[in-house]
Amino acid sequence: MPTYEVALMLRSMPKPELKTTLKRISHAIFDRGGIIRNIENLGHRPMPYKTSAHGLVHREANYFVFKIDTATKAVSDLKEEYSRDVDVIRQRVFKCEESSSNNCTLEEELLPPAYRDEVKKMIEVGKTQVNRFTYKFKYNSGLDYYPFQK
Amino acid sequence: MSLLRTFVSRYVLPNTYRTTARFSSTDTKLSSNDDEPVAMPNPYKKERRQCILCKLNIKPDYKNYRLLSQFQSPYTGRIYGRHITGLCKTKQEQVESEIKKAQNCAYMPYYYKDKTFLKDPKLFDPENPIRSHRF
Repeated sequence: MPTYEVALMLRSMPKPELKTTLKRISHAIFDRGGIIRNIENLGHRPMPYKTSAHGLVHREANYFVFKIDTATKAVSDLKEEYSRDVDVIRQRVFKCEESSSNNCTLEEELLPPAYRDEVKKMIEVGKTQVNRFTYKFKYNSGLDYYPFQK
Repeated sequence: MSLLRTFVSRYVLPNTYRTTARFSSTDTKLSSNDDEPVAMPNPYKKERRQCILCKLNIKPDYKNYRLLSQFQSPYTGRIYGRHITGLCKTKQEQVESEIKKAQNCAYMPYYYKDKTFLKDPKLFDPENPIRSHRF
């Protein structure tokens, strides 16, 4: 099962209500055979832009991030369920990516253009192309008519 | 008088010198060749430059919107380009995608920078880009 991150924005509500909402959300995951790795609470804060959901305009939200392991087919099902939930203002699901170690290529990128590999490649490609600025149509092309507008 | 002096220095004094040991590189052969050039890495070679995120080994994350907001213009909320941020290609790509995620998740505004982050330390100077631009 791949790991997903579900970023949820819940409407502002008192704590006991929030607790039941979180329980409901997590039970929806468990019912589909998923597991929760981690729940992150990013706090209750004003949203950078107002959001209307379920007929109400929300300017503040409780931010939660669930890190879950679930079947890929269950994700759309979960999204559909949360979209019907009145307490969920907004929800986004992202796949967790494994951290890939890459070396910094800044040194090569700061070289003068003539020494950069991608520019060299571009010049090579350019040599194989027809130069549009110097190309002149040849009339002995085998066609018995001129194909372009005169 | 001067003639006499040159005569003495040319014909009389050299004879006296020949009797003593002569310290000269032409006469005695050097026993060890430790004066020869030695193979060594270029001591003047500059250190390999790295972008700030690679140097500090930071992976941009959409939940860390405070860091991401440092790559955003305080006036328009737009993401600064690679020629201004001085990041390597991969990190710049990651930063851009994570900013888009964060904006979509309503962690970060689209059209301005969060006013609580306006006094954060500057990672780069937009007025002095690495590569010049038209603006």
